[in-house]
Amino acid sequence: MMDKAQILLSPGTEQPRTLVVVFLRGGADGLALVPPLEDDAYYRARPRLAVSKKDAAPLDGFFGLHPKLAPLQPLFANGELAVVHAAGSEDQTRSHFEAQDLMEHGGIVAGGWLGRFLRTRPASTHGALGCVALGKALPESLLGAPSVTLMQTVDDFALGAKSPALLDGLRQLYSLESGQLGGAARDTFDALARIEEMRSTPYRPTHGAVYATDEFSISLREVARLIKASAGLEAVSIDLGGWDSHFTQASVLDPLAARLATGLASFHQDLGPLMKNTSVVVMTEFGRRVAENSSLGTDHGRGSVMFALGGGIKGGRVFGPWQGLDDATLEGPGDLPVRNNYRNVLAPILARHGLQDAHLSKVFPGFTIEPLPLYG
Amino acid sequence: MSVSRREFVAAGVAALCATGCDRGPLSDARRWVGLPTSPDLADPLTAPRADTIDEAAHVLARLTYGARPGDHARVTALGARAFIAEQLEPAALDDWVCERLIRHGFSELEDPRGHLFRAESRRDDPLQQLFPELRDGGGRVGELYEWKEKALLTSLTRATLLRAVYSRRQLAEVMVNFWTDHFNIDPSKGECKWLKAADDRDVIRAHALGDFPALLRASAVSPAMLWYLDGRVNRVHHPAEKPNENYARELLELHTLGVHGGYTQTDVMEVARCLTGWTVRDRKRFFRGRIEFHAHEHDNGAKRVLGHEIAAGGGAKDLDDVLQIVALHPSTARYLAEKLCRKFIADEPPQAAVESAAQTFLATHGSIRATLQTILDRPEFWAPQTRGVKFKRPMHFVVSALRAANARTDAAPALVDYLLRLGHAPFRYPTPDGYPEEAVHWQSALLWRWNFATALAENRIPGTAVDPADLRTRLGGDPELIATFFGRAPTDLERSAHASSGGGLALLVAAPAFQRC
Repeated sequence: MMDKAQILLSPGTEQPRTLVVVFLRGGADGLALVPPLEDDAYYRARPRLAVSKKDAAPLDGFFGLHPKLAPLQPLFANGELAVVHAAGSEDQTRSHFEAQDLMEHGGIVAGGWLGRFLRTRPASTHGALGCVALGKALPESLLGAPSVTLMQTVDDFALGAKSPALLDGLRQLYSLESGQLGGAARDTFDALARIEEMRSTPYRPTHGAVYATDEFSISLREVARLIKASAGLEAVSIDLGGWDSHFTQASVLDPLAARLATGLASFHQDLGPLMKNTSVVVMTEFGRRVAENSSLGTDHGRGSVMFALGGGIKGGRVFGPWQGLDDATLEGPGDLPVRNNYRNVLAPILARHGLQDAHLSKVFPGFTIEPLPLYG
Repeated sequence: MSVSRREFVAAGVAALCATGCDRGPLSDARRWVGLPTSPDLADPLTAPRADTIDEAAHVLARLTYGARPGDHARVTALGARAFIAEQLEPAALDDWVCERLIRHGFSELEDPRGHLFRAESRRDDPLQQLFPELRDGGGRVGELYEWKEKALLTSLTRATLLRAVYSRRQLAEVMVNFWTDHFNIDPSKGECKWLKAADDRDVIRAHALGDFPALLRASAVSPAMLWYLDGRVNRVHHPAEKPNENYARELLELHTLGVHGGYTQTDVMEVARCLTGWTVRDRKRFFRGRIEFHAHEHDNGAKRVLGHEIAAGGGAKDLDDVLQIVALHPSTARYLAEKLCRKFIADEPPQAAVESAAQTFLATHGSIRATLQTILDRPEFWAPQTRGVKFKRPMHFVVSALRAANARTDAAPALVDYLLRLGHAPFRYPTPDGYPEEAVHWQSALLWRWNFATALAENRIPGTAVDPADLRTRLGGDPELIATFFGRAPTDLERSAHASSGGGLALLVAAPAFQRC
């Protein structure tokens, strides 16, 4: 097992630069986002809620995409987007809080997996804008990161009204500094110049991309802006919340799925060739009960889906295994069992972003990684 | 709507104090109701005049979170060595202004005999007989679960920052910070989110300048530590079961001997066996937070730790035997001496000072106060090339800016956000080794230091306020203002850079000289 892990975790020659983690809070329904169109048990369990074959965007002949995720279908077709089904964690509580914490911490451990990953980097690479969380609160996955910038837009970086005069003064004083502090000061002046340039020119997405005006799309637009400015961005965390669809699922899920898909599709289009240096991973704390409930909704379940996009991922595939939705295969009150632990999806991606095998057990302690072959 | 008497008074005082009023009777009133304030500055406010960092500026830079205006004059008059002696006896320092702020704002942390905590002394409890410090502590720890965990962590963080900014017992606060890193606990793990508050109060603060063996023992049976390093699940029911080694390893590697301290993997396993059976009751049960020794989960066979035989049948006493072996081990003395010298002298601690501090540690049976006294007496500590060359960690940087600027602050989350961005918020470090000390880990994040400098100077941090014009006037002018921040007279370049930047506080806080101590 370890041999396999070591081979697959050897970093490739082309290391992606920026990792974007999108967390769908509330427990997104994997069976609605990526329905098993050829599984009759799916339609029996969801007589009113199932996505029909004619509405779905086709993927691999067996699975399809929710109609609102159709903007992602071309990315799957051209091999950039991979889907991991029956993905999730070992959490059995089906509690949002417990499951999110466990998944973001990477087990019952201190700190978050993304924070610990960033701690494995040499101290000299902790640049001014190395790690950014878009939103109003720091996600648990970033606990313990060497430096995190919480922001909503690039404008949050303003040095204040008097910054040109201040920077002149600082340039004079820091010009006398040698060694690491002098170097850090030069990097910071550069970063500020890039940020100023970004702030002073309205952002124009490239390759014909047009972002929607919701918060999620705006966050992705700001990430694209930072990536294009070469601001040293290594890790990003973005939340897209509200997936807890107990009641009239379509009214909850459809607009969120549309936001997710249009945001990611615009981001992908905007970045163009830079996408090969960028990885996007989409995850959620758990999926929903297979059977629909009496109020046209679904209750807390286990397995859901994850998406992985860009950064050399060999997509166009839905990773399983799919073992059907018969009562015998379901878990507990009737839930899709987790076949792919989220760590096995994240580990190969982190390896592409420079995580060394030796540090794997620091990022995901107490778990034997069997990396999913996302790159081969 | 019901408004408590305190809230009513607070509203009135807030209205009266909407602007200014950080001196005089109204300032006292603000303190009584726990509003943002700052202790009055003690005249004279004479700024440092020497071209280099003198002895008074040096001890203020290293033993405190930075000098407030007037501190340099006071320490100069008192004498730098007398200041060290004063700081080594914190209980003798009147600190009522700071303590009142904490008590008003965060009674859940600070008022063990208040209505929130049951002071429960049970003489018949074998644990309380074995550990006298638990005699009035058992009940209080469990009561912490009554608090929302996020609110508790916010209170603990804010109280920590307020004490760093305002306490007169500055060296004690610096040492609290040192031991918080040494015995690091990340509250995000399990029930540490409640229990760290008790650890901070009953372990770290209670022993910060006391005796290391007592500190170590308090930490070993701290409910938060039993959670954080899995001691609570270190148990054996039958001989084939393997103990959980997590705490045993960190006890040897991080808390006592150090990674090169001469222990083996066998020692780790034997220490783990000695500590089997110690646990803490979780929040789902009665007597939550209580420490217990379960004899039936203890490996009662004979053990051998670092060459010492521990006879079979020792039960709970095995813990004391192990701590006695490691607390005053020569490797522990050296490891702690090196860490303390790194903190107070230089990132590369001079070996002669380390040796001498280690000798004092052993000769005084682990007196932290005596060990510090030795380090602060060393010629290496006073050497001119030692002064003003250590890189401030972010918390020191932020707090020293608030102190030098005579800021009023309530340490609201907006202030803590800057420390998060700088990667050094209190109680946020994930692994047991604690935040690193050396400059190399901290020097690259300048952007957020500069952002903090401008936000502070322009009064853009909610809950924190400065009055640079008033400060400049009281100090006597720009050169005195710069000298108050840098601990020495400014160079010509510093004066011209300050002038060209517009003359406020931003350049002073962002300048290279203010990044060092």
